[in-house]
Amino acid sequence: MKQLRVALVMLVIGGLLTTVAFVMAFTTAEVQRFGTVTLSERIDTAFPLQEVTADGYRYERPWFSQKIFYFHVPVAEASFLVFGVAAFFAIRFLMTKRKEYDTKSRIAMETAIVFVTLTMITGILWTRAAWGVWWEWEPRLTTYFIMTLMMIGYFVLRNSIEDEERRAVYASVFGIIAFINAPISFFITRLIPSNHPVVFQSGFATSNLVPFILGQIGMLLVGYAIYSIRMNEERLEERVEIMKEALEG
Amino acid sequence: MAETTARRPGRGLSWRQFRAILRKDIVMELRTKEMITSMGIYALLTMVVYQIALSQAGTAFDPRTIAAGLLWLAFVFTSMLGLNRSLVHEKDQGCLEALLLSPVDRPVIFFAKAIGNMIFLLIVQVLTIPVFAFLFLQGSEYGGQLWMIPVALLGGAVGIAGVGTLLATMSVNTKGKDFVLAVLFIPLMYPLLLACVSATTAAVLGGDGHVQQFWSGMGLIAAYDAIMVLAAYALYEFVLGA
Repeated sequence: MKQLRVALVMLVIGGLLTTVAFVMAFTTAEVQRFGTVTLSERIDTAFPLQEVTADGYRYERPWFSQKIFYFHVPVAEASFLVFGVAAFFAIRFLMTKRKEYDTKSRIAMETAIVFVTLTMITGILWTRAAWGVWWEWEPRLTTYFIMTLMMIGYFVLRNSIEDEERRAVYASVFGIIAFINAPISFFITRLIPSNHPVVFQSGFATSNLVPFILGQIGMLLVGYAIYSIRMNEERLEERVEIMKEALEG
Repeated sequence: MAETTARRPGRGLSWRQFRAILRKDIVMELRTKEMITSMGIYALLTMVVYQIALSQAGTAFDPRTIAAGLLWLAFVFTSMLGLNRSLVHEKDQGCLEALLLSPVDRPVIFFAKAIGNMIFLLIVQVLTIPVFAFLFLQGSEYGGQLWMIPVALLGGAVGIAGVGTLLATMSVNTKGKDFVLAVLFIPLMYPLLLACVSATTAAVLGGDGHVQQFWSGMGLIAAYDAIMVLAAYALYEFVLGA
């Protein structure tokens, strides 16, 4: 019960920090302006068309959509981290064959899927605002898509095995190999030209960095809280099962 | 690991076991001809589907630009079929259990099965390419050097067979079987296929910098093969034990 209380406190703090970061992103953070961009055709966007030149249509580069950075990047980083945790527990399970590690690995994977979904949703919204398309086969997006598919595959695999021990071993094996595959996909997609922004290369004002860090810490706390609450639920379920058996016997 | 050192005196033993398992697969295939026929016919049917897909493309369309992609697509689907068959046999006839009961090192089983699968895949690839060229690339010019194609095919086949053997061993023990294999196989194959298509396209199209594109693709294929086959090999023991 103590663990649950800690988790709930963390959830509240994490939620607060994320909210503060969100508010700061729109109030104190310095507005990032990116100049203009010339597109070959006219697009449907909220950003003002500046002029029509011989090269094409010159638009002011969207700066408002940049605000999603304070949410999208922390969520994405948290998703990688939690995926790593899931793979770590999978390795621990194969080493020890203790059931609790398998449960931990599964719960971490569930948490990762929550973050991956959030990243995908925010990312797609941003792509639409910034690039004028909903989807593009661009390295990061593609890698991320593949990662999502692997996570779905993990649960498909789990659901189609009845034997408990076998399920745990197979899921762990797949979790590990999927985690190895993710960075490889990332490097190999360099074969496709990219226009996903790399924000940290261009330097960062303090007024931008503070909400970002707050958002990042907040998101990690939320992630840990989700994981702990689910773990707690899992333990309770186990206890119920044991009690049921005891009563029946 | 302790097992291998204990068996040092009979160093040739693993090699003999490896050959025995591989020979079993090949002899079975020679007798039934099941895998090659099913994979071959499946590849042929894929060509028919391609014809439907390209039927409205018109004459201005150069099929060479997507030839590599279409070929690898055919190989992915046929290899999934083959991998599934190869391990369903093992399981249904209780062969895998017998192998596990016999004093054979687990890595030997992995490599023997993977090499067997790779050989069948390579045969299908070699049979499919002329048919594909005959059906879709007549009159097109071949741009690169001819040796590039077999190199890329081999690189791809190593990765497909290595990772595929691990995944197929898992998927035959699930309720979903071939569906589960597809769900696990395609995302894991993604980086390999992307690199294979890049290298093969460079070979087919030729032109400026195609040698460089080919080798950067091959480098990525080699890296993928090395890392993923090693991982599959390390994890195979756990899968067999479960």
